[in-house]
This record gives sequence, structure tokens and C-alpha cells, in this order.
Amino acid sequence: MGFDWEFVVSVMPIYGAAILLTIKIAVLGTLLSLLVGAVCSLLLYYRVKVAGSLVKGYIELSRNTPLVIQLFFLYYGLPKLGIMLPNEVCAIFGLTFLGGGYMAESFRSGLDAVSSVQLDLGLSIGLNTFQMIRFVVFPQALSVAMPSLGANCVFLIKETSVVSIIALRDLMSVTKELIGMYYNTVESLLLLVVCYLLILLPVSFLLIFLERRFRYAEFGV
Amino acid sequence: MKRTITKFFSAVVMLSAFLLTVGVLTGSSSAAEKKALDTIKENGKIRIAVFADKPPFGYLDESGKNTGFDIVIAKRVVKDLLGDENAVEWVLLEPANRVEYLEANKVDIVFANFTVTKERAERVDFALPYMKVALGVVSPIAAPIKEIADLKGKKLIVVKGTTAETFFAENYPEVDLLKFDEISEAFQALTDGRGAGLSNDNTFLFAWANQNKGYVVGVPSLGSLDTIAPAVRKGNTELLNWLNDELKKLGAEKFIHKAFDEALAPFYGDTVNQEDLVVEGGVVK
Repeated sequence: MGFDWEFVVSVMPIYGAAILLTIKIAVLGTLLSLLVGAVCSLLLYYRVKVAGSLVKGYIELSRNTPLVIQLFFLYYGLPKLGIMLPNEVCAIFGLTFLGGGYMAESFRSGLDAVSSVQLDLGLSIGLNTFQMIRFVVFPQALSVAMPSLGANCVFLIKETSVVSIIALRDLMSVTKELIGMYYNTVESLLLLVVCYLLILLPVSFLLIFLERRFRYAEFGV
Repeated sequence: MKRTITKFFSAVVMLSAFLLTVGVLTGSSSAAEKKALDTIKENGKIRIAVFADKPPFGYLDESGKNTGFDIVIAKRVVKDLLGDENAVEWVLLEPANRVEYLEANKVDIVFANFTVTKERAERVDFALPYMKVALGVVSPIAAPIKEIADLKGKKLIVVKGTTAETFFAENYPEVDLLKFDEISEAFQALTDGRGAGLSNDNTFLFAWANQNKGYVVGVPSLGSLDTIAPAVRKGNTELLNWLNDELKKLGAEKFIHKAFDEALAPFYGDTVNQEDLVVEGGVVK
């Protein structure tokens, strides 16, 4: 049983399409997660009534349930309530639901690290709430939160590997499919790992670069 | 920035080298260890792979016990081999894992409604068949799929690693397939209306349509008539020969007919003729 290079070449287009789908779900899911996380963390930071409590509940729910279960609920559960979402939408919503909780916690750690002196200073020069968020709180929080936000991004990209349960043909899914049809296990698994590395290594290096760039707020903390 | 790029490339090169080594190692080691008949007898236990979600062939009853047509036959085989029908470790798997589990030596026999195909026979050794099968397509009575042309612009649900998936991929690549890992998930998707129909073994679909009102096997027979047989690891000739002798013996006493009456008849009612399905002693009529 040698290594079947012909097989590897013949399935390249399938893996190509799968990489694109994985990237699409990961990018949209991660961006929406960042948005949801940022909004949630601000609601918590400013102790907004009701919404703040809801956010707390959401964070616990999203961080303490596996993505597979969330996808199962969206794909197989919602149709029972008359809501039928296409599988790609389910995947992006699921990833956002999961990621939003993690991102909110990362942002919160950043917000907590902003010194109260900074807030007092901001107020004393007459900044309003929006200006405080935009120019004082958020930039400093982002600087502190950057490493853990980055880790979350990598985590979310890897989490996309479970979407085959809702019949999406991502990298993990086509690998299982090819193994099931042609039994070229070694070749398929190798391609799988290489594809994930192709996606994740550049992301990791980009994040290292970004972390350096975002160290601007390290003075006087 | 330049340093980062150099680092990136060296990391890629190192990882690729590592992965190739792993690939070569796993490729060569899987063929090594073989579990022959003596080892099974010594252990007093045999590992058999079956389905947990394909009634009436392999499924779990209310109390969680493995049951079904495959299991009835497998139990008899175990009894004749080890003297006790309970001297077995049932291993539950998904369709796509059947070859894998044999190659990785996780099970001794696959008794999971395994259709004999040329591709599979290159990887595992099939014993004599005990069942005949073709493909079918089940769909809602309200919007029945009666021929493959009806599937145009619609989605057809299949389970990964089944003959239905391969059949459509090779003969009708234009059909839009929605592929699931598990049988239960695929049927859930069908009842949710995620696809216009579902293709699988017709023997299985008849039973399912009989249990689920509102669905009909609109395409009752598709592709070639195949057989279903137990399989062992490639090269495990000792166990294979024993299994073949055993199936011949069971054929002489019409045991597969008995298994049909016990496990399948209640599911089929009078929709399926016993002789269209049962194979005795490996002789296909």
C-alpha cells in the first residue's frame, strides 16, 4: 500500500472547494463573533440594566455548550418550530453564537484592565460617553485583549471542523467522504492536515504581527 | 517582516517533513498485527462491528440491546465459534468507518449490512453473502420521486460511505447530493424537508417507509443487484474460511430464512418477498 500521488492530485479540486467553504464560514463567523463580543462586553462594562443580565446568561450558555450541540439545535431543532435555515447560515450563526461568548470575555478582560485614572482623566477633559469609548477605553482595552482575541480566532477556525454534521462539505467533511468512498485514508488525512496548516499558519503569523502592533497601550498601566 | 516570512517558510517545511513521516509510518503499521482464529478463541471473545441506527438490520431496542437481522445472524456465528452467543463485543460504527475499523484492527468481523463492491473488496475480504440488495429512493408521498430525472434542481440525501453515495457520484454526477455522516441524521433531514428524497439500500427503505407514514419508495430498484456479506481484515484467511464454512452450514438448515422471519418480517408486513432478499449458503439465485 504505497502513497497514491495520483489520488492526491485528483482530489485537489475537492479540497480547494472545501478550503474556500471553511474560510468563508470561519471569516464570517469570526467577524460576527468580534462584533457580538464587543457589543456584549460594553453592555456588561456599563452595567446596562436587563441587557447586562441577559448578556451574562448568554456568555455562560455559549461558552459551556459544544458547537456540535448548537449546530444540532439550529439545523435539526429549529425546523420543528417552523424556522428553516440553510446549512451555511446555520454554521455561521452557530459559530457566531459560540464565538460571541468567548470574544465578550476577552474584551471584558481588556476593559477591566483600563485604569480608573484614565477614566477620571477622560471625564475631566469633558469627553462624552461615546468619546470615552472611542478614544480612551476601547483602544486600551483592545491592546490588552489582543492576544486572547487572536487565540479565539484560531480556536473558531478550528471549530469549523464539526460542520459536517449539518451536511456542509468543509475540509473535515470531504476527508471523511473520500475515505468512505475510496479508502485512501493516509492520503486524505495528510491533505486535511496540510490544508488546515495552509489556513492557520498565516493566521498565526498575522496575529503575532498584530500583537506587536497593538502593544501601544503598555505605558503606565 | 522579512524574518517572519523566513520563519513561516521554515515552519511549513518542517511540518511537511513531519507529516510525511507520520503518513509513511501509519501506512505501513496498519497491515502488521493480525488477529487469527486462535487469538479469538484464546480471548474467548470476538469483536463484531454492527450498526446502531439502521432498523431492522442493526439497531438498539428499547433496553439498549443490539438487535436486528445482522445481529441475529452474527449471534448465531458467535455461538458456533465460541459456544456462547454472548461472547461478543459489539462495536457500533458509521457506514463510512467500516473499512477503516477492519484495517485498524478495531474489529474482527464487520456485520454491518456491508454491500460487496469492487473497491471495498480491494481493502477487505468479504465472506459469502447472506442477503441481496439494490438501491432505492424514498420520498414524501406528496412529492414523490419516481425516476432520477425528477431530482433535477433538487437535493438528494445520502449517507457518507454508502453504495448510494458512490452510485450517484459515479453515474449521475449532476444530482445535487446532501451528505450526512450518520443514518439517523440523514432521515431527520428528510423528514425536515431538507431534500427531495433519500437514497439508500432498497431493503432498508422499504422497512423505513413501512414504519413512517407519508413516505414512499418511489424508485424501488436502482443500479445493479448487489449482495451483502460479512467482511474480515484483508489476509485474515483463517477467519474468512471458517466464516464461509459456517455460512454454508447455516444455509443447509435455512437459518437466514429464520432470521428473516424473526427480524425482518414484522417490519416489512407483506411488502417484501422473502426470496428477493435472502441468500442461503452464499448461493445467489
